[in-house]
Amino acid sequence: MKRALAVVALLLLAALAAYPVFGTGYGVRSIQQIFMWVALAGSWNLISGLTGYVSFGHVAFFGAGAYTGAILVASAGWPWPVAALAGGAASMVLAVVIGYPCLRLKGPYFAIAMLGLNEVLRALVSYFEGLTGGGNGLSLPTLDAAVPIYYVMGVLALAVTAMSWLIVTSRFGLRLMTIREDEVAAEAMGIDTFHHKLGAFLLSAVGPGVAGALTARDQGYIEPISVFPLAVTVTMIVMALFGGKGTVFGPVLGAVVLFIAQEIVWARYPYVHPLLFGALIVMVVLLMPRGVLGLLQQRYRLPRTI
Amino acid sequence: MNSKAPAALAVVLALAVGGVVPPAGAQGPIRVGASLSLTGTYAKLGNYMHEGYKLCAKEWNAKGGLLGRKLEFVVYDDQSTPATGVRLYEKLITEDKVDAVMGPYSSPITEAVVNVTEKYKKVAVSPLAATTSIFKRPPDKKRNYIFMIISPAEVYLEGLVDMAAKRGLKTVAILNEDTLFAKAAATGAAESAKKRGMQVVFQEGYPKGTQDFSAILTKIKAANPDVVAASTYFDDAVAITRQMKELNVNPKMYGLTVGGDLPEFYNLLKQNAEYIYGATQWEKTLPYPGNKEFDANYTKEFGREPVYHSAAGYAGCQVYFEAVKRAGTLDADKVRDALLKLEMRTAFGDYKVDEDGFQIAHKMVMTQWQDGKKVIVWPDELANGKARFPMPPWTGR
Amino acid sequence: MNVVTPAMLGQVIVSGILAGSLYAMVALGLGLIFGVMRVINIAHGPLLMLGAYTTFFLTTHAGMNPFLTVPVSMAALFVVGVVLQRGLVFRVVDAPELSSLLLTFGISIALVNLAQLTFTSDLRAVEYITGSWVLGGLAFSKPRVIAFAFAVGVTALSFLLLKTTRLGKAIRATSQSREVAMVCGVDVGRIHMLTFGFASALAAAGGALLAVIVAIQPEMGGVWTFKSFLVIVLGGAGNYPGALLGGLLLGLVEQVASLFLTTQLSEVVAYVLLVLVLLVRPSGLLGGRQT
Repeated sequence: MKRALAVVALLLLAALAAYPVFGTGYGVRSIQQIFMWVALAGSWNLISGLTGYVSFGHVAFFGAGAYTGAILVASAGWPWPVAALAGGAASMVLAVVIGYPCLRLKGPYFAIAMLGLNEVLRALVSYFEGLTGGGNGLSLPTLDAAVPIYYVMGVLALAVTAMSWLIVTSRFGLRLMTIREDEVAAEAMGIDTFHHKLGAFLLSAVGPGVAGALTARDQGYIEPISVFPLAVTVTMIVMALFGGKGTVFGPVLGAVVLFIAQEIVWARYPYVHPLLFGALIVMVVLLMPRGVLGLLQQRYRLPRTI
Repeated sequence: MNSKAPAALAVVLALAVGGVVPPAGAQGPIRVGASLSLTGTYAKLGNYMHEGYKLCAKEWNAKGGLLGRKLEFVVYDDQSTPATGVRLYEKLITEDKVDAVMGPYSSPITEAVVNVTEKYKKVAVSPLAATTSIFKRPPDKKRNYIFMIISPAEVYLEGLVDMAAKRGLKTVAILNEDTLFAKAAATGAAESAKKRGMQVVFQEGYPKGTQDFSAILTKIKAANPDVVAASTYFDDAVAITRQMKELNVNPKMYGLTVGGDLPEFYNLLKQNAEYIYGATQWEKTLPYPGNKEFDANYTKEFGREPVYHSAAGYAGCQVYFEAVKRAGTLDADKVRDALLKLEMRTAFGDYKVDEDGFQIAHKMVMTQWQDGKKVIVWPDELANGKARFPMPPWTGR
Repeated sequence: MNVVTPAMLGQVIVSGILAGSLYAMVALGLGLIFGVMRVINIAHGPLLMLGAYTTFFLTTHAGMNPFLTVPVSMAALFVVGVVLQRGLVFRVVDAPELSSLLLTFGISIALVNLAQLTFTSDLRAVEYITGSWVLGGLAFSKPRVIAFAFAVGVTALSFLLLKTTRLGKAIRATSQSREVAMVCGVDVGRIHMLTFGFASALAAAGGALLAVIVAIQPEMGGVWTFKSFLVIVLGGAGNYPGALLGGLLLGLVEQVASLFLTTQLSEVVAYVLLVLVLLVRPSGLLGGRQT
């Protein structure tokens, strides 16, 4: 069974790698979006799925990465792959700065703080307009890099998933989950909960940071409202939740299924699609809080580390 | 082995048939693609623009179409987000393989989408992008295939400044929403004022969504300007006006960018809207050729009066089709040349662009509310009334 | 560039207090939901928006005086709140915060979309009274002063209800400890329902009063959800008088920061204040419920 799955996975990867050669520009962009969501949902899962600390402002890292990458490309002339890595690094730094104080907060307060963080960043970006263009947005030199970015985003998605797998199957991951189940007991057992949480938080910020910088380069233009929207945070959460939070492949499944579903719904029902999205969220929260993989794990006694 | 033969035969037949029948493009309709903001923040105005496109296509089809073929618009909803717009233009160009494209609504979305149209070298007439920086670029980043229809943001308040300077007013206070278009209009107004020897005593941006302008207006009141220029959208315009009355800020002239010219503005504010200047790209009473017909046809088709967004969409489409007709082909480079050379007056006003595709002929007009009616007061050659000056204090009315 | 005179400062302080009263009243509702049910209600803003539309329609189609529609809007949204709680929200009471965040987010976008479909995104406003009373050189905006009076009245009545009536005591008891309240015979399920309804009514009151001040459109509530959160954190979640303090404080901070800095920066100041309070005194300035 395992071998069959591995073969299928390899074939899939090969097909994805070959796609840009015979696919359309639109197809390339769409799949690239799926890669992005896999990276985002998977990253969110690292902090919130594993430790239970709900990061309700995770798009802040995406936005921070987007602006870092865009500024480096537009003002300092850096090549975009390096700028993308810088975006990831900047997000990591931001995660430390934010995580240090905020991870000491309890559940709902952490969620609210993260929500506030997103807004603070947006306001700061608008304020420092000399650097960021403020409300005008930031325009990058025209460059058609859709295919290279497709590959890089694909690698990012793989990297996040691989990192997820490594963490979930490691003692580090086990300790994170212990924190999720009962933080006090974890402390009592000698786990340094604060540093573990911080570590997970850092790792969860890298993916969105790089993805943000790549997206900025791909779009060629960013403005504050488009890179810090709450809807992006909620979408990545719902994707992870749908697939199964706390699992490795849950976010991947959720990203793929929900992205495709959204495309279909939005094409057919443009005027009511927020309503349908809202209904979907309600359904997922109420009916399948453990997600698809969670259900399967329960029903079929699947291993914990999928 | 046997089961494969019929399949192979079918494939061969299909190829043969496909080879014999000429490609659809040569005979079928001309498909023009666009992604418009049908939902989301810009929904209302995006829909108006769509209606302009539709009416234009209908009229050309009634006269025999373009290059002997019928015209058909393929429109998707970009949900008022640049990222979606970008993907949709890729879809239109690479999957739907449309014959031509027209621009989307709003400057931010146009700015993002332009990268796609330039990549595939498709001419994109962009009827509702008012930001100079989309068109005017440094030589190594020049864009070749986009064309502007409306007057740029920077000149929106030019009329207000011109009228103020002619009356010898000296000081201007400017407030603007902190977004692309509004900032450009504010910057343009400030430069315009300085050129005319006026002093900008206050200039500040406010975040989108602000509802309480007390602090800004308190500061403006303390600066005691002759003119207040507000670069806003509709809901801010209403709030700012009401709060100016509450705080008793009494400039001699008060003008708005977007919203001051909409009928709803007067309906909501009634007496308090009197004397207020609005800037508009177009009014149905302007003496442009075909304007009256456009107004009548639009009202008949859509059941309400057109606003400038519809007129701009209509005109943009007219300009593009005219250029294609003159070029005699849909080939992007030939159409581009035609658009660069073209000089035309539509129901919307004048069209002429410079070598960057930047609009240089179209004129903004300033309106003023007088006794519940919108009167065009500037420029003189298009005015149908005189401005009432100065604006009396709020408490005196 | 800006010279700030005492008159200017006085003016914005007035504006800040007037605005703060509305913040306080609306945030009280959010605080009640959080305190009693541990639910983070992101749909609070849309409830306010529905209250505003109720007032709008009553005023334009039934010719009612906009301020007299306040109790009607409140009653209408009370019912809506009860229905929402009974139908959906009760399932996430006491659940991990992720569930309530997501559920209420889903409800909020559904409500906004429904409003867009039913009412269209066209801006509406109620034109009733404009201008201001001038006192001591300071302008007191007429609609805002009347709103202030209503807000103070409604908030005062709410506190009276919480302090003196049986229902109020039951609410406070459930807020402090659900188990003990149950043991004392409180029908906790009913309390949850009534609290959500009551909180929705408070949001609706805010919306009804705002209808005369700002433009009404389906997305008007989002900003209010955020501000209510700020207020709750400032004052202390679960601490109801804290909501008053927090509301007034937020109103003042916003206006004064806008005066001395810029309106844009005042946003940053408000959020930085939020984060600071969360870090230094997470239970709020007046102390909230202990987790």
